[in-house]
Amino acid sequence: MSSKLDDLFGYVQERCLWQFFSRTWDRQENIDGILATATDLLAGAAPKLDTPMDRLFYADATVMVADFRKRFPWLAETSPDEVRALIAGLKARLEEIAITGSKNRELSHQLY
Amino acid sequence: MPMVLLKCDQDIPEREKHVYLKAPGEDTREHLPLANAATIPGTLSERGCAFCGAKLVIGGVLKDTIQMIHGPIGCAYDTWHTKRYPSDDGKHFQMKYVWSTDMKESHIVFGGEKRLEKAMNEAFDEMPDIKRMIVYTTCPTALIGDDIPATVKRVTDKRPDVDVFIVECPGFAGVSQSKGHHVLNIGWIDHKVGTIEPEITSQYTMNFIGDYNIQGDTQLLQTYWDRLGIQVISHFTGNANYDDLRGMHRAQLNVVNCARSAGYIANELKKRYGIPRLDIDSWGFNYMAEGIRKVCAFFGIEEKGEELIAEEYAKWGPKLDWYKERLKGTKMAIWTGGPRLWHWTKSVEDDLGMRVVAMSSKFGHEEDFEKVIARGQDGTYYIDDGNELEFFEIIELIKPDVIFTGPRVGELVKKLHIPYVNGHGYHNGPYMGFEGFVNLARDAYNAVNNPLLSLAGVDIRGTGAVAYKEAAE
Repeated sequence: MSSKLDDLFGYVQERCLWQFFSRTWDRQENIDGILATATDLLAGAAPKLDTPMDRLFYADATVMVADFRKRFPWLAETSPDEVRALIAGLKARLEEIAITGSKNRELSHQLY
Repeated sequence: MPMVLLKCDQDIPEREKHVYLKAPGEDTREHLPLANAATIPGTLSERGCAFCGAKLVIGGVLKDTIQMIHGPIGCAYDTWHTKRYPSDDGKHFQMKYVWSTDMKESHIVFGGEKRLEKAMNEAFDEMPDIKRMIVYTTCPTALIGDDIPATVKRVTDKRPDVDVFIVECPGFAGVSQSKGHHVLNIGWIDHKVGTIEPEITSQYTMNFIGDYNIQGDTQLLQTYWDRLGIQVISHFTGNANYDDLRGMHRAQLNVVNCARSAGYIANELKKRYGIPRLDIDSWGFNYMAEGIRKVCAFFGIEEKGEELIAEEYAKWGPKLDWYKERLKGTKMAIWTGGPRLWHWTKSVEDDLGMRVVAMSSKFGHEEDFEKVIARGQDGTYYIDDGNELEFFEIIELIKPDVIFTGPRVGELVKKLHIPYVNGHGYHNGPYMGFEGFVNLARDAYNAVNNPLLSLAGVDIRGTGAVAYKEAAE
């Protein structure tokens, strides 16, 4: 579990600009929205595409999930429950590195 | 590994907070260079000024706009023609002309408003086809308190067919160019976005934000969007007309390349108009393909995107591979403004097999260092606001084969006979997109293999030659 989580976390750190948007609330919104959509995609469920933000999250999530499947063959043999647990673990680690544990002094500035 | 105090910085120990050497297992929760902070007294910074960030980087790119710089002549000259951002109309108006009120001592003493008014009228009279203008304040005209909005109003009241945008961002307004980006972004959305309704020609519309058509970047990427049937309402600001940017509020999506210089307006467009912000990397094969996939996924046109990517890979992939074979293992340093550090470090490593050994940012914020440290390798130096002596010392430590940087630092490294490629204005761009990345690879390959630099170090006079010392030695 831990090494699988390291794989997913390493990928996001290396590839995904959305984790490092300008402010705390942008980062949280992206982490929540993209990982929720990724969970749907990994479970084979139809993603929500009702609003422009839904489609944005889908755009980022679909590329990430495709890469996950290509890079990490173990994903195909992982149970749905474990996938959900992995995404929950990924969410916690991203929140820690990009929000709660970040040393970026501009994250909570009220203005852009 | 903690932050690094270089030998040359022993007398300015505060610099330790700005230099980081990444060690295995570390991440940005432990160490993050201090950035977007005032330059430390005693260090010879490579930074530009806040005015420069507004004019040279963003406003000056517009192809139909008079750039009126209210200040001494040097402020105009030093922000004119040093970047190569052409336009697709073949006129390159923005690269040919710049305007200055040429403020002298008497104008400073008695005020410069009349001089500005006269200069604005002269400019519009001399160029009757041009109806758009940006007026910039500079350090002296800001200090003497010239009332720019009142002056502009006097001119526009008499000329109803012109539109003028004011950028009040003197050089001292911030710690670096970055402040100028911010002021122009926020000023534009406050005063100009929403003042024109663009003509919509496609069911898919977007703004492409943070790309300045360096040697044709925008024009190259535009061929992709045309093939995909996506209307780009505004390019902020590559190859753009002034009025294009007044219609940014009508796009369905903001695609952001340079988040440092233009993330602000993308954030505000999201906040005020509900337009989502999608950040992509436009340099590199793999990244460009990923960016196209995301844009197409947003619009539900994935198949078109895959067709385009396949065509581009077929056309340019073999050329890229040729260079990759020959550039493998080449040690590269990237000393540019900020975002190119994180845009390039993985793309040159994955697509070209190079190894990035040091990166320095002139105006990046801590957000930029979060991005680049997450992407960059262990054993690489990450430097904020690097100074000249630090560059010498880092070169000794890492011995790069090629350095991507601007002309100022480029001149410095040329003296050491190290190849440099212009990382700001490019050597022979465009560098974005598939074709562009082959151009970057070619310039890196040519730089590394050019025999002239090593020959330049040969002194045929033999041992009697005088060895010139650098000031740093």
